[in-house]
Amino acid sequence: MNQMSWPPQVPPGPPPMPVPPPMPLAFSGSRGEFFDLAKRGSALEFVTLGFYRFWLLTDIRRHLWSNTLVDGDATEYTGRGKELLIGFLVALAILVPIYLGYFLIGLEAERYQAFASIPLIVFFYLFGQFAIYRARRYRLTRTVWRGVRFWMTGSGWAYALQASLWGLAMIFTLGLILPWRTAALERYKMRHSHFGDLQGRFEGRGWEFFKRGWWLWLLTPIALYISPIAPFVYAGYKAIEWRWWLSGIRFGDVRLESSLPKSALIGLYWKVIGWMALLGLVFAIYLGLCALLVASMSGEGVTAFFKTPDLMRSIPLLVLFGLGYLVMALAMNVVMRVYLTRDLWVIVLGSVNIIGIEAAANVVARGDLANALGEGFADGLDVGGF
Amino acid sequence: MTMEGDAPEISQTPPNAAIYFDGTSSRRRAVTLRFADRLEIADHEQTLATWDYTEIRRADGPSGMLRLGCPTASALARLEVRDTALAAELTSRCTRLDENMPGRRGVAVIVGWSVAAAVSIVCVVLFGLPMIADRLAPLVPDAFERRLGEVADGQIKKLFDAKTCDNPAGQKAFVKLVTAIRESAGLDTSVQSGVLSSPIPNAFALPGGRVYLFNGLLAKADNPDEIAGVLAHELGHLKHRDSMRGLIRDGSTSFLIGLLFGDITGSSALIFGSRTLVTSSHSREAETNADGFAIEIMHRLGRPAKPTGELLLRVTGKEGKGLSIISSHPLSEDRLARMSREDRSASKPPLLTPEEWRSLKSICDTKI
Repeated sequence: MNQMSWPPQVPPGPPPMPVPPPMPLAFSGSRGEFFDLAKRGSALEFVTLGFYRFWLLTDIRRHLWSNTLVDGDATEYTGRGKELLIGFLVALAILVPIYLGYFLIGLEAERYQAFASIPLIVFFYLFGQFAIYRARRYRLTRTVWRGVRFWMTGSGWAYALQASLWGLAMIFTLGLILPWRTAALERYKMRHSHFGDLQGRFEGRGWEFFKRGWWLWLLTPIALYISPIAPFVYAGYKAIEWRWWLSGIRFGDVRLESSLPKSALIGLYWKVIGWMALLGLVFAIYLGLCALLVASMSGEGVTAFFKTPDLMRSIPLLVLFGLGYLVMALAMNVVMRVYLTRDLWVIVLGSVNIIGIEAAANVVARGDLANALGEGFADGLDVGGF
Repeated sequence: MTMEGDAPEISQTPPNAAIYFDGTSSRRRAVTLRFADRLEIADHEQTLATWDYTEIRRADGPSGMLRLGCPTASALARLEVRDTALAAELTSRCTRLDENMPGRRGVAVIVGWSVAAAVSIVCVVLFGLPMIADRLAPLVPDAFERRLGEVADGQIKKLFDAKTCDNPAGQKAFVKLVTAIRESAGLDTSVQSGVLSSPIPNAFALPGGRVYLFNGLLAKADNPDEIAGVLAHELGHLKHRDSMRGLIRDGSTSFLIGLLFGDITGSSALIFGSRTLVTSSHSREAETNADGFAIEIMHRLGRPAKPTGELLLRVTGKEGKGLSIISSHPLSEDRLARMSREDRSASKPPLLTPEEWRSLKSICDTKI
């Protein structure tokens, strides 16, 4: 199921077949290649203390984009790691004084009441939403298909304001309003998205989303107590969201449709959990072996060593622990990227059908590039979106 | 177009066939390539574009396809070649095909600069920030520091659910003790101090001249000298403005480490670990200085310093030898050893009478 990839067009055979290829979307990348990419990227991330993340993210996107064939022609990602780095540095330059100001304002507020500065988090929520919008704009303007780029207008702050008001409504309705929030925000994003001179729009209705997923809302409190069902609930939610989102996307007369089953992603999440458990086990065994090794070298005898608090104070042991921890964290990164980025991409892509692609046969190129400031903020504030 | 091609298995495609997108529209054109002194891209008789071989660059394409662009001609124009022979012919002519791709050298540059950045950040955190904090702390206006103290005060009282103990007799004894120490420490009357009702055996100093003693520490103490040493230690922090310095230093350390090394899964544990190492080494230094200050004060008061060390050891228990680089305080054994080493026998009368000491011990009892 994870290995869905199709040969790129050109059906062999002498009989003249004027029928267009029945597969409007295909993925041609090999899993091994992506695995190598993720492995190498994680190792470099380790060596560069995380700075390589900008280039790794770019490489991952380039791989996924360039192997995604729409109507037989592959898309292309033209963003570069350096742009992300610059975006991050600019965001840093803006965020540092804001953090400082936040600290001072918080101090002033706390003088009147302890913990009064918490409402200022609202401000950061606003900033996070701005980042989500602008990050999407960056990604979209780096997406090229048939020599024409996607582009996006609209105001990140207007979006952030809308998102925050909806967020307030979310609190009052205990999250029940989520489908309408997502629909409204997506309408704003898609209304301002373009492919050349084709304008985008979003036709998904909040009600549709609600009808498909309301039972998940009921299950969520239960899942919080009985954790084994949480992956099922989350995977179900993601599948419903993907299908609903994709089925609502329009560019001019081009329409997308997705037939992603609710159960499509459950396997992925359990595989990730399985790998996590396995890696955790390996790490635990490694810790045990390290402790034994250090204990036997301490010369005090193994049982005596374990009884003293020296166990937690031995420098070689701590260094070994730290190294093991790092390797485990990097391995987990690779697992997450292979399953939750690449495999998810392939599964979701396989469910999509495009109707009316002829409308995109002769689109006039338009639109400009956007800067990576949004991605920088998203990185600095740890928010994500798609 | 019909003619006999080099690739007879695809009968309809002419030789040197490729797909071309001109970058101004999404029209897909089947073109033929002519290798003149520049690359000519032609649709039948009409030449659509001519590209310099040296200006042609590789663009990302799916596996099994060569995708080219020519940034100087048109940013997004793309030429797609699936035929391997033609692709080989093209790549042999275009000498600077991969110039824009970050190759091995590009990665080496990234790694090199990252390591340089990491080294400089570590240096700033280890040497730069403490120096900046030392210079900045005295410049912070007293009013601001007092405000910080008020904030921390409110939070701590809420956090520990602690009330100020002040039954008259106990308070009188406490004030007498604090005043004696404060005067010999050369601090003015802006110092505020009090006993808080909490079973935790601890004492601390807040920015803006506040010193608090938890009732739990009083309960563990056997004589006034033990408590006097602890109070002198905390006043030492005030005198050196350690909390303000610590705030500037630790705040900016966390901020720097957290912002720059974000985003690796599990990095929060790493950030926490490295921060603990850095801040605790600074904090140990400050504690050692405060201990020195306390010893000096006790000498001036003509009282022994050793009891304080004994109280500390009683509170923490034996901490064992070995690694102490992650603890915020020096080991209690070492502190006791130092206080014993520099101890002098009592040369003046006790700071509190037995009567006053009893009142102080029961300062948190509401009824007397």
